[in-house]
Amino acid sequence: MIPYKSQRVAYPYFVVALLLFGLQVLMGLWLAINYAFTLPQSLVDIFPFSTARAFHTNLLVLWMLLGFMGGTYFMVPEESKSELFSTKLAYLQLIILVGTGVTALVGFLFGWTQGKPLLEIPLELDLLIVVGALIFLFNVAATMIKAKNWTMIQGTLLGGLVMLALLYLFGLPFYKNLSIDWYYWWWVIHLWVEGAWELVTGAIIAWILLRITGVPRGVVEKWLYVEIGLFLFTGIAGTGHHYYWIGAPRYWLWVGGIFSALEPVPIILMVWDTFRHVKERQQKIENPLVWLLAAGCAIYHLVGAGVWGFIHTLPQINYYTHGSQVTVSHGHMAFFGAYALLNFTIFYYAFPQLKGITHFRQTLGKWGFWITSLAMFALGLAFGVAGVLQSYLERVLGLGFMTAQAQMQLWFKIAIVSGLVFFVGVVIIIYDLLKMKQSAPERIAAA
Amino acid sequence: MTSKLAKSIFYVGTLSSALLFLVLTWDTHNQVHALTNADRLSDDVVEGKRVFQKYNCNDCHTILGFGGYYAPDLTRVYDRRGENYIRGVVAQPELILANSFRKMPHQNLSAQEIDRLVDFFRWVNDIDTQDWPPQDSKKRRSTESKRLIGGSAMTPGAALFKGQGCIACHSIGGVGGDSGPALDDTGARMSLEQIRQYIYDPASVNPQTNMPGYQEMTPSDLDALADFLARQKGETQ
Repeated sequence: MIPYKSQRVAYPYFVVALLLFGLQVLMGLWLAINYAFTLPQSLVDIFPFSTARAFHTNLLVLWMLLGFMGGTYFMVPEESKSELFSTKLAYLQLIILVGTGVTALVGFLFGWTQGKPLLEIPLELDLLIVVGALIFLFNVAATMIKAKNWTMIQGTLLGGLVMLALLYLFGLPFYKNLSIDWYYWWWVIHLWVEGAWELVTGAIIAWILLRITGVPRGVVEKWLYVEIGLFLFTGIAGTGHHYYWIGAPRYWLWVGGIFSALEPVPIILMVWDTFRHVKERQQKIENPLVWLLAAGCAIYHLVGAGVWGFIHTLPQINYYTHGSQVTVSHGHMAFFGAYALLNFTIFYYAFPQLKGITHFRQTLGKWGFWITSLAMFALGLAFGVAGVLQSYLERVLGLGFMTAQAQMQLWFKIAIVSGLVFFVGVVIIIYDLLKMKQSAPERIAAA
Repeated sequence: MTSKLAKSIFYVGTLSSALLFLVLTWDTHNQVHALTNADRLSDDVVEGKRVFQKYNCNDCHTILGFGGYYAPDLTRVYDRRGENYIRGVVAQPELILANSFRKMPHQNLSAQEIDRLVDFFRWVNDIDTQDWPPQDSKKRRSTESKRLIGGSAMTPGAALFKGQGCIACHSIGGVGGDSGPALDDTGARMSLEQIRQYIYDPASVNPQTNMPGYQEMTPSDLDALADFLARQKGETQ
C-alpha cells in the first residue's frame, strides 16, 4: 500500500506518540484533581503539582513532535519520490528521543529539573534532544537533496523544521536576568507554536489535501505561500504580546497588540483554503474521516488559537487576564485545535496505508473526533469561566489569590468531568488506530 | 492571484516582520538594564534565581505572569507578603498553610538558600512591569475598597481591612485568613497608637512578627484602619 518501503519508519513514531498522548491526558486529569480537591501534605511533598505539570507539558511537546516527525518521514518519500536517506538513522533518532524523554520524566520525580516551565529538561538531556533533532534534520534534508525533486511543500516543511530546531537553542542557557530569560523563553515557545509549528502544519495539511482532493499542485502551493507568509508576518512580531509586563519597553504593547490582532487572518485563510480545495476536488474522497479531521483541525485552530488568542492578547484585556486561568483555557483549546487534531489527521491518513488497508470502518474514528473535540470545548469553557472569575475577583476586586480560587472550585470540578470524557475519546482513538482492520467498502456507506 | 504575487507576499511578510522583531530585540536589550534595575542584579540575586529554578517553584507559581497557574503570582510577593512571611512559608509550608485547601510542598531549603530566594524576590519586585499585576498596583486603591468606602454599610477602616488584604491573613468574627492571629480583641489588648504603629512598622513593636509593614499607606488611611481595629474588643472566635 505504501509506495516507498522506508515510509514504514513512521509507524513506530505514531504508536509511541499515541501512547504518550494517553499518558499526557491522564496527567492532566491528575492536575485537575489537584485544583479541585485538597490533597494530603505527605502526597504533595512526594509528587507535587509542579512535577505533575512538568510531566503533562513535556509529554505534550514530546508526543506532538514525534507525531510531526513520523508525519514527515511518511510524507517526504512520496513528495520527493525517493526512499528515505537512512531508515537506521530514523530508528536511532526515535530511540534517542524516547529514551531522553523517559529519562527526563523519571528525573522529574527526583527533582532533576532546570526549573523553567515547559523547558524543565536538564541541560545534559537537552543536548541529547539536540543530537536527536540534528539526526532528524540531516536525514530529511539528505533525502530531499539526494532526490533533487524539490517542491514548495518540502521547502516549507524543511524550513519549519530547521526553524524549530534553531529556536530550541535559545532555551538552553541560564539567563541571570529574569526578564531576559522570559524574553528568550518565548523565542522557543511562541515562535514554535505560532511560527515553526504553523509551517509544519501548513505543509502537512496542504499535502494531505493535495492527496485526497487531487486539486492541481500549483493551486495548493500558491495558497500555501500566502498562508505561511501571513503566519510568519503576524506570528514573529506577534511574540510581543508576551512582552507587555515583563520589564520590556512600552512599545511592545503596540507591536504585540497589533500583530497578534492580525494572527487570526492566516488561520481564516487556511479554513477558507481547506474548504475551497474540497469544493474543487477532482477525485472522490475515499477516506472521508481524514477530510472530517482536516476540516475540524482548520476550524478548531481558528477557534482555539485564533479567536481565543485574539481576545486576550489585546493589552487592555491582557492586563487583567495575564497569568490567569484564561491562559490555561487558551492553551488547551489552541494546542488541541491546531496540533492534536493535525496529528489525528496524519494518523488517520497514514495508518490504513501503513497497515495495507484500503477501507476501514470509520464509525469509531468519528466518535473519537466528536467526543474529544466537544469535551475539549467544555474543558476550555470551564477554564475560561474560571479565568474570567479569577480576573475579576483578583485583579478588579483585589481579593487574595486563594480567596478567588475558592470561588472557582465548581469550574475545576466541571473540568475534571470534561477531562474524563476527553480521556474516553482519546482511548477510542488509540484503540481504533491500533486495531484498525480491512472492511468491505459497502459497510462504509452504511456507517 | 498569480504565483509570483503569492511568493512576494511570503517574502515581504516574513522579512519585514523578522526585521522589525530583531530591531526591537536589539533596542529592548539596550533598555532592559534600566527597566529591571540590572545594576542591583548581584550574585546573591542570581543565586536566588538558581534556587527558584532548582526547586521548580515556577511550575506551580507564576512570576511576571508566566509558569504554573496553581499558586499565587510572585512578581510583587516581596511587597505583598513581606520578607518574614516568605521565609516562613518556604521553611514551613505545612504550618503556615495548615488550613489552606491548597498545599505547598516542603522543599527542605537551607537557610542560605532561603536568604538568596528572598534576595531574588526583592529584586524582581522592582522590575518595571507597566504597573502589573493590577491587584498589587500602588497607583490605585482596589475597586472593592472604593466601593466599600463609598457605601454606607461599612466604615472606611473596615473597607481598608478588606481592601488592603489584612483579611487574607487575619480574621475577625471567624471570617478571614489564619496565617496571622485573629483580631477580634485587638482593641482590648492594644491602644490606638500601638495599633497604628504596629500596622506601620510591625517589627518595631514585635521583632518576632511575620507581618509586613504598611509604610505605603497614607496617614489618613492608617488612622482609619487603626481606629477600626481599636474598636474590636470582642472575644476571639
